[in-house]
Amino acid sequence: MIQVQNLTKDFSLNKKQRRELGEEYKNSKTLRAVDDISFECRPGKIFGLLGPNGAGKTTTLRMIATMLKPTSGSISVSGSDSVSDGQKVREQIGFMTGQTALYDRLTPTEMVKYIADLHGMDKTTFQKRKNKLFDVLDMHSFADRRIARLSTGMKQKTSIARTIIHDPPVMVFDEPTSGLDVMTSRAIMDLIRSCREEGKTVIFSTHRMGEVNQVCDDIAIIYKGRFFYNDTLDQFKEEMTQPTFEDEFIYRVGEA
Amino acid sequence: MKFLTIAKKEVIDISRDRRTIIMMVVVPLFLIPVLLGTVLKITKSMAKKASEKQLKVQIYGQEYAPDLYQAFADMDKVIILDQIPTDSIQSYIQQEFLDVAIHVDSDYKVNIAKNGQAKIRIQFKGTDSFGITKDRINGILKKFENQIVSERMDRLNLKPEVVRAYNINYEDVASRQEKFGKIAGGWFPYVFIIFGFMGAMYPAMDLGAGEKERGTLETILSSPASRLDIVLGKFLVVLLAAFLTAFLALGGIAVGIQRIPDIPPEVLIVINEVLNPKTIGLIMTLVLPVAAFFSALLLGLSIYARSFKEAQSIVAPLNIVIIFPAVIGTLPGMELNAITSLIPVLNVSLASKDIIAGVINPLYMAEVYMSLFGFAGLAIFWCVKMFNWEKTIFRS
Repeated sequence: MIQVQNLTKDFSLNKKQRRELGEEYKNSKTLRAVDDISFECRPGKIFGLLGPNGAGKTTTLRMIATMLKPTSGSISVSGSDSVSDGQKVREQIGFMTGQTALYDRLTPTEMVKYIADLHGMDKTTFQKRKNKLFDVLDMHSFADRRIARLSTGMKQKTSIARTIIHDPPVMVFDEPTSGLDVMTSRAIMDLIRSCREEGKTVIFSTHRMGEVNQVCDDIAIIYKGRFFYNDTLDQFKEEMTQPTFEDEFIYRVGEA
Repeated sequence: MKFLTIAKKEVIDISRDRRTIIMMVVVPLFLIPVLLGTVLKITKSMAKKASEKQLKVQIYGQEYAPDLYQAFADMDKVIILDQIPTDSIQSYIQQEFLDVAIHVDSDYKVNIAKNGQAKIRIQFKGTDSFGITKDRINGILKKFENQIVSERMDRLNLKPEVVRAYNINYEDVASRQEKFGKIAGGWFPYVFIIFGFMGAMYPAMDLGAGEKERGTLETILSSPASRLDIVLGKFLVVLLAAFLTAFLALGGIAVGIQRIPDIPPEVLIVINEVLNPKTIGLIMTLVLPVAAFFSALLLGLSIYARSFKEAQSIVAPLNIVIIFPAVIGTLPGMELNAITSLIPVLNVSLASKDIIAGVINPLYMAEVYMSLFGFAGLAIFWCVKMFNWEKTIFRS
């Protein structure tokens, strides 16, 4: 379970950044990336965080994963506060982005073991979990080959394995399919679905409406750091005034 | 203990990086002896070549000093020329068709006969290697001059004491170790410092900026490891790389010294006396905090950089900052005192000189440790801050 209450994040701006951002920020010392948002992600459900580039999706997810500290508001992950109990929060989550985020000079086995060790998994549990994941993802044939020499598909499988090796109850996906080909994107979407089937809490950010339609139960649309839609996907569909999801998304962003 | 997990992984990772291995093992262990040997071999062969070279000499006014002319003609490896006109001397010497032109005045004989001074003007090219041409000509003239002086003294019934009023006898109380320490002692820590820095450079860039570039930083930041664990794990590996490279550089020097052709045995004895485990151990206690200082500094700068390339451009000028005080420390006359013992890198260089020479002042030594540990502590504190600072860690 993720509970977000009145979350706000400001980034301080230097002179150069103020100049680059233009007239609007000429006299502003900070940039509000996330502005007073509240939402809840429930176990067994997929929460889609939708928004164009620069809307505040990654900042929100990074705050959930305790990489960034909120300026105000609070985040609770499985009952632990993201600021006062950051380590406990990180123990609960699996974090995945569009980049495979792997160490080229390690093998998939070493990569997965590294993450397991950081999560304090004991040897037996790790071995069982690793074997299970490597069976499911069909990774045994390249388990001891250096990651640099693997194909994109093999790397993606390794990335999936390292994200879920510690069997986290909460999954955070930050634009996980961005830049990936159709086959690899499908593997990720399958992973997201399977997480829901296992009863995990899933938050998933994207700017592709099609993906939201495929897997999400609840959605929030974020633009310039603010939510201007936060409800179930079914409700969104009911309220649609445009012929397609994409048109509706663009229309709503334009209205914001 | 998560920092140990991180350190273990980083050791595996960098040990498989070709660039790091080249910088850490190949350069200090193989390149130093090869370079040291080659440079000394070339220097020696150049000096030999210059001293064995046939000197082309023309004596202008040889008719006024036939005995001097004969002295040159009798010398080995001297060819006497007599065809070059006076107005072409300069261009002939410039083009190395002639090495030396000796001008004897017409009153040479008269001056010598009346116990006076004969004027001799010598033209040569002072850019030849090691000034050997000048030394050889000087040697011949000195020998001939001594002969004339000796004849004069016999003629005048004078003893050598008449022209040499002092019988000077220098007695050097400095031990061989002290002399070696003061002259060459600064170079050992210099090698440790430079190689330690070079050895830390690639791992630091890879473990900071490289992590950002690969996108793996988020993986590790979202793990249960705290920022302190991450910094500590990475810092220990960079420090290990720095220290290992410095040690291997010492090994490289040891091998290199054995390869120096015709090294005088007494010098070898001094080197072996000086480079005993106790002295090396003591110098290492200085190298450790200075290595910690620049490991933390490099890691902090590396995490600030957006990419490996940017890290390289930030770190490269630091080479000069490190090299400069290390070189200053090797200069003769630079001594460890209350002020120099506070300047990092320079103090290591100067203190090592005194340690090798066996004349280290314990008060200054304490000051050196205080300064080094202080700076290392500050650098580590700053590095942890850099990892905790959102603006740095997610700088894009």
